[in-house]
Amino acid sequence: MQLHSLPLLLAQYSADDIARETARLERNFQFLSYGLIAAWLILVIYVLMMVARERKLKREIASLRAMLEDRQKI
Amino acid sequence: MTNKILYVLGALAMVLLARDIYVIARLPGEVEQGAIFKIIFFHVPVAITAMTAAAVALVASILFLVTRNFRYDALAVSVTEVGLAFLAANLVTGSIWGRVIWGIWWTWDARLTSALVCWLLYASYLMLRKAIDEPTQRATFAAVWSIFSFIDVPIVIFSIKWWRTQHPQPVFWGGGSFPADWGRIFAWNMLAVVLVGVVMTMVRLRQEDAQRELDSLRRTAHAI
Repeated sequence: MQLHSLPLLLAQYSADDIARETARLERNFQFLSYGLIAAWLILVIYVLMMVARERKLKREIASLRAMLEDRQKI
Repeated sequence: MTNKILYVLGALAMVLLARDIYVIARLPGEVEQGAIFKIIFFHVPVAITAMTAAAVALVASILFLVTRNFRYDALAVSVTEVGLAFLAANLVTGSIWGRVIWGIWWTWDARLTSALVCWLLYASYLMLRKAIDEPTQRATFAAVWSIFSFIDVPIVIFSIKWWRTQHPQPVFWGGGSFPADWGRIFAWNMLAVVLVGVVMTMVRLRQEDAQRELDSLRRTAHAI
């Protein structure tokens, strides 16, 4: 016999079953969030490292250029 | 001009990613696995981007050994570094998926182990570069190491075909079923992730140019 009515369908399950399934779905979604956050965090950290490296390079190039110009003046 | 292309590609990648995340968040969960299945929309594109980066590094390394042009060495190091970040994202997302579906964070099956070995090989490539000061020697040794490291890439890709692994068979080219509209969303996200990788590589390549300029200025300063 097929049960098409939602109340009859739900009557087959105990409150514990429903609570367990809800907890499973919540945990599932929670881990999906962790996964996406972790993946993007790795890439964001890498981008921040690149930004820091670029700043350092620019600073060093500017200071060396200034030093070379000073030496040429002398 | 290069800067303009970089900004346009970066903006395009960000818009695409934002749109894809919105669309993916609204998709229903998969019947068996639930919401965690949706991690595939990131797990697979970052893996494909990382493997593509390894292939580009291989070609650039061979070209460097043939031509001795440092532009190819710069491309190899840039693309390897970006690929390593993507492969790390792939390993982490896979591990989190495994925790929910398998009940464990990690298993030493062929796919997972070969992917971890691949990450370690390319990490050692970057460490090797740090250890050698002389530019020609550094580029030559690194190119040889990059070619050697690539041996692991086909093993990572085909491990699920060659051995019986706990890692699932491919959803797309291994007889798995994926709804057509989900396939379209996946393709768009694949494009967005690849674009992010391309932009990162271009930025990193620019840094290699700056590093060469800095080295040349240092040599001039020493000579004066």
